[in-house]
Amino acid sequence: MKLNLKSLFTGIAATAIVWSASAAETVKVGVLHSLSGTMAISETSLKDVLLFTFDEINKSGGVMGKMIEPVVVDPASNWPLFAEKAEELLVKDKVSVVFGCWTSVSRKSVLPKFEQHNGLLFYPVQYEGEELSKNIFYTAEAVNQQAIPAVAYMLAEGKKKFYLVGSDYVYPRTTNKILKKYLQMKGIPESDIIEIYTPFGHTDYQTIVAQIKKFAGGGNACVISTLNGDTNVPFFKEFANAGLTSENCPVVSFSISEDEFRGLPAKQLAGHLGCWTYFMSVKTPENDKFVGDFMSWIKDPKVTGTSYKVSGVDPKGRVTCSPMNLSRMGVHLWKQAVEKAGSFDVDKVRVALIGQKFKGPVAEVTMQENHHLINNVFIGETLPTGQFKVIKTFKDVAAEPFSDMFLK
Amino acid sequence: MKLLLFLCPLLLAVASVSSRAADATAKFRATLVEAILSEDVDKQVELVNQLVDAEDELIARGLTAWRASELYVHSPASGAKAPFLLDVQPGVVGDSKGIRLFDGTPVLDPTGKPLTFNASSLTPVDNSSKLRKAIKTALDLFAIGNRDPHLRRDAVTKLGQARIAEYVPFFERRMKIETDKEVIRSLGEAVALTRATDADPKVRLGAISQLGELRSINSIDFLRELDTECKLNPAKYGEDTGRLVHSVVLQLENYIRWGTLVGTAFRGVSLSAVLLVAALGLAITFGLMGVINMAHGEVMAVGAYTAYAVQCLFGNGLLFSIFGYQVSLKGAGFSGGFFDVYFLVALVASFVTAALVGLGLERGIIRFLYKRPLESLLATWGVSLVLQQLFRHTFGAANVQVDAPGFLQGSLVVSDIAFAYNRIFIIGFAVFIVFGAWLLLTKTSLGLQIRAVMQNRAMASCLGVRTDRVNMMTFALGSGLAGVAGACMSQIANVGPSLGQSYIVDCFMIVVLGGVGNLVGTVSASAGVGVTNQVLEPWLGAVLGKITVLVAIILFLQWRPSGLFVTRSRSLDG
Amino acid sequence: MAGKFSQRELLIVGLLAFIGLVLLPCLNAFVPAGNPLHVSTFALSVYGKYLTYAVLALGVNLLWGYTGILSLGQCLFFSLGGYALGMYLMLQIGKLGQYQKEIPDFMVFLEYEAKYPATGGLPAHWIPFRNFGFAALMMIVVPAVVAYGFGFLAFRSRIKGVYFSILSQALTYAASLMFFRNDFTFGGNNGLTDFKFILGHDINSPVTKRTLYICSGLLLLGVYVFCRWITSTRFGMIQRAIRDSENRVLFSGYATANFKLFVFVAAAIIAGLGGALFVPQVGIINPSEMSPEKSLEAIVWVAVGGRGNLLGPIIGAIGINSLKSYATHAFAEQWPYVLGLLFIFVTLFMPKGVVGLPAQFREIWRRFKNRNQTADLPKAVIAPTAEAEKPLQPTGKE
Repeated sequence: MKLNLKSLFTGIAATAIVWSASAAETVKVGVLHSLSGTMAISETSLKDVLLFTFDEINKSGGVMGKMIEPVVVDPASNWPLFAEKAEELLVKDKVSVVFGCWTSVSRKSVLPKFEQHNGLLFYPVQYEGEELSKNIFYTAEAVNQQAIPAVAYMLAEGKKKFYLVGSDYVYPRTTNKILKKYLQMKGIPESDIIEIYTPFGHTDYQTIVAQIKKFAGGGNACVISTLNGDTNVPFFKEFANAGLTSENCPVVSFSISEDEFRGLPAKQLAGHLGCWTYFMSVKTPENDKFVGDFMSWIKDPKVTGTSYKVSGVDPKGRVTCSPMNLSRMGVHLWKQAVEKAGSFDVDKVRVALIGQKFKGPVAEVTMQENHHLINNVFIGETLPTGQFKVIKTFKDVAAEPFSDMFLK
Repeated sequence: MKLLLFLCPLLLAVASVSSRAADATAKFRATLVEAILSEDVDKQVELVNQLVDAEDELIARGLTAWRASELYVHSPASGAKAPFLLDVQPGVVGDSKGIRLFDGTPVLDPTGKPLTFNASSLTPVDNSSKLRKAIKTALDLFAIGNRDPHLRRDAVTKLGQARIAEYVPFFERRMKIETDKEVIRSLGEAVALTRATDADPKVRLGAISQLGELRSINSIDFLRELDTECKLNPAKYGEDTGRLVHSVVLQLENYIRWGTLVGTAFRGVSLSAVLLVAALGLAITFGLMGVINMAHGEVMAVGAYTAYAVQCLFGNGLLFSIFGYQVSLKGAGFSGGFFDVYFLVALVASFVTAALVGLGLERGIIRFLYKRPLESLLATWGVSLVLQQLFRHTFGAANVQVDAPGFLQGSLVVSDIAFAYNRIFIIGFAVFIVFGAWLLLTKTSLGLQIRAVMQNRAMASCLGVRTDRVNMMTFALGSGLAGVAGACMSQIANVGPSLGQSYIVDCFMIVVLGGVGNLVGTVSASAGVGVTNQVLEPWLGAVLGKITVLVAIILFLQWRPSGLFVTRSRSLDG
Repeated sequence: MAGKFSQRELLIVGLLAFIGLVLLPCLNAFVPAGNPLHVSTFALSVYGKYLTYAVLALGVNLLWGYTGILSLGQCLFFSLGGYALGMYLMLQIGKLGQYQKEIPDFMVFLEYEAKYPATGGLPAHWIPFRNFGFAALMMIVVPAVVAYGFGFLAFRSRIKGVYFSILSQALTYAASLMFFRNDFTFGGNNGLTDFKFILGHDINSPVTKRTLYICSGLLLLGVYVFCRWITSTRFGMIQRAIRDSENRVLFSGYATANFKLFVFVAAAIIAGLGGALFVPQVGIINPSEMSPEKSLEAIVWVAVGGRGNLLGPIIGAIGINSLKSYATHAFAEQWPYVLGLLFIFVTLFMPKGVVGLPAQFREIWRRFKNRNQTADLPKAVIAPTAEAEKPLQPTGKE
């Protein structure tokens, strides 16, 4: 009897040790991307690539020996819900870091929560800047890493008339405002710059395309588009059918990456331009590995080392794109910073992140003091396959969130 | 066998064309090499001028390099001198291979190994300003020789805008061999535009009136400038020119005004057709039956996804997942004209699938709610949530791509106004389905029964109409029409899980504005909204235009509180 | 239904109010964190959000459940109230914004300083919002004025049923498009965010959050009592009469348009007050809160809870939002199925919502007993009881 009791105790103790050990071996990480509602169309891919990256890191031993355990929530493209979910991740799940948000308004809605609870957010999507929070790291392209190089390129190509078309919200308005200033600085008269906005979910681009056609009649015109993902389809279908092509009037789009291309008539879009810090088509060994690993992961998606069940991964026609690459690099930068700091403590990690370098698929990036990256910028021409052909590279462009710093 | 016999000469013809092209390219390359090695500048210019018609990338690269002083000559101990350029790869530092202009092969050393060079240790081939100018002209004019007539036309238009007198002889030479009508017109326009300020008044007047005859919209900016210049300084070109320019400007402006008017009218009609196609299904389910179907948009999406599926089955195969299980269906692998047929099949298929979905919806949910119409709003809203997520999990969260069949691509251009084929198709299609729906409702016994049941269900039932079945058929018909609308929309908008959401508000607005339960009202309402929107948009911009239309609808309903066409009934609360 | 609070209702409401207004805040304030009974400040602020939704739902119910007016624009008034307080909160940030200027960040960036030099960059209509009293007044006045203007036009021309629904939807849609524009001086799509202080207190401190929560609870209680009072007066009788047959009321000599207008304005003010308390608790207001879907959502809460009843909307709003909060975390991928199927289920099988369940069960039990006792009774005896409930259900079109 005594013996039995003793073995029972040891058994309990052993279980407790095993349990606490296994609990200590994971670190919770939040994924805050809309999986339903209007933004799911873009954000679902980012959730996929984040889970892939967690799997990638866990396979190679985790972060400081701990397995990354994802906590995936769905803020449903609803901004107050974004704030609630962010706070829930920080307060209830006590995650070490959160990767998420796509739209600026979602980031703005969670920002106070991250500052209040001293959390850490990595934000991966090109945005208008004019913001800097000590709790947010922006792996995203700032305006001077996307819009300005693209327009500089168009100027160098001899374009003299600019038609700026965008969805009516803050990112296009802000970007266009900066671009207008920049173009005027470069000597383009105000009469040769047209700025037009369309409502969210606009489906009828007949009038705008007719205007562009008139505008481009004299030659040397180009379109700078900040239309958001969904409205690009009706715009480009109308554009192509009106007989406009990339030869007589190229369109530079800032919101179309390879991922958006999956729903676009790529054949009709050949020759138009995109500007990002990553293209799937860039040939480097690192990129080949990233693309190859991701493609095999989506066939059998799982997160090694955790009990998390991955679901809702679409296996068809998948691609990689800049926001996905920036999401993944964010996770790696965070991992390196944690290992450098030797702790998951947000204040220590934040310090360690500055100056952190990561050899990404297409460039080695450095996290600057202003929480933005130094990254390579590529201008690419679209191909009928939905890929981009790089036609110009700007090396090591340092992101600057505040436009008055680079509009001098 | 017959086919083979038929194909043989065709293949031969293709082969001979390509070999002739190869001959021509070799000849042009030889000319370029001759020019580079020549010592006489005039001869060089003459030779470079001959290169204008070469459709060869290597020659373009060679000329660009020559102009930028990046062209070199390799003089081997034995053999002829060979001009070459460096094959610099972006991002690679150090020596690069040389490419011979003669045939595009690398420069080899006597042992047959490719030689590498460093730009700093080489002496570039001389050029002069006269030569550089000739090279620039040749490079600019290269595009005129492009194989694609559209690109050729665009290039000519662009060059014509530059108004450089040196181009004129080339334009004229091209005009003699050009076969495409559009390009000939552009060439004429370019020549006239360049000559519009010619020193000779006769040439000048001729050119300006020619611009008027050609209705050259492209030259309006230039002519306006010329007009002001003539007014400020009448002596410069003489009064005749001033008067002519002014009349041509007026003539062109008038032409443009008409074009804009017709264009706006067409855009208005086409938007009306889109709204009508989208709302017609709802006009039946909501207008006639009184079911507030919030899932109408999602039924449209069912149609659009059906079009996508049919397209994939005609093409390279379809991959989707049902409740986590992946299903892969092999496609027929058609291309060209056979593939284009998919769209017609898709229209029928989307009607059938959407009608089936509607049938299921009616049997499963809606038939229990006929007595509480407002509550159909809640249930169908739930349906719409479920369907959206189902689309996401079946076809992926991203939009899918539905290709336009060949016959719906591009546009018909009449007097500088583009009528896109897909828009023409939708207008025709809208007329077709409205006519079809009208026929069905007024000329068939089913239509008679539908109208009877919708007007007085109890009475119809007493007279032996199987109301239950008629309800089912009517709802299926409305859903089917929504499905076809979805397939149609795949030609102008995106196909994705939230497709329905972008139309639902507009659809309800149209049906209510027209007067619930009245097809004529739906047609008139969509026409009114579509045209008003397109008329306002150029003035107010898309956002304010849309807001104005919404406010106009609110105010309009003050005037006619039951819509445009009121269905009169004796019932007090009708 | 007429008369005072019944004993049972008093008991239920009193108990709920005690739990909501006293117990939960006390558990938050006095029980240390870590104790299983502790209610976290986060949880409290989420409950606070639900309470403001419940206020909105009560407004919808007053309109739809009691008067038969289905407005798809209630969230416009909710947002207008929110914007009114949001503007005050924006001006309280002071120099703590990104640019450390007196005016809100988006105004600095959009160069309002050059546009409105006389006021240091602040558009004129923003200036009075520095004063809390004015903002508080505006969150009542603005929704009321908009509702009055719209309602006056609509009810005067006797627009009703689904026409009114679609019209109100057009109104809120147009307003959201307007607010999305940067030029409209309300921050465009990014809306108003990053609030720091309210009445001099740190908006994120537990005390403030608790206070805001208690305010929301008090507001809900107040609105409940108001609705209870108004529906039990003669006015309430006319309201329900309008719902059931407007024309008969009209022919009896009542100016139904005025009654409807009054209810519409009252519901708008209720929504505005709810919105005003919503904004400081979630920390953001943006034009998508005005989109037609949001108003539809509020209607769904009322329908699920049970309309024409005062507890139903509260149960619906809190219940569905709690379920949504839980499900978006627990089944991030599948929750729309859960919610969608729930709506279908409720509509089909629970026509009177959650609060109607006991009655429904009683009915089933009665039938079950009847069947056992008198199995051979003709069906007609049972049928009228089901039919008798029909007039209570408001319908847009008969």
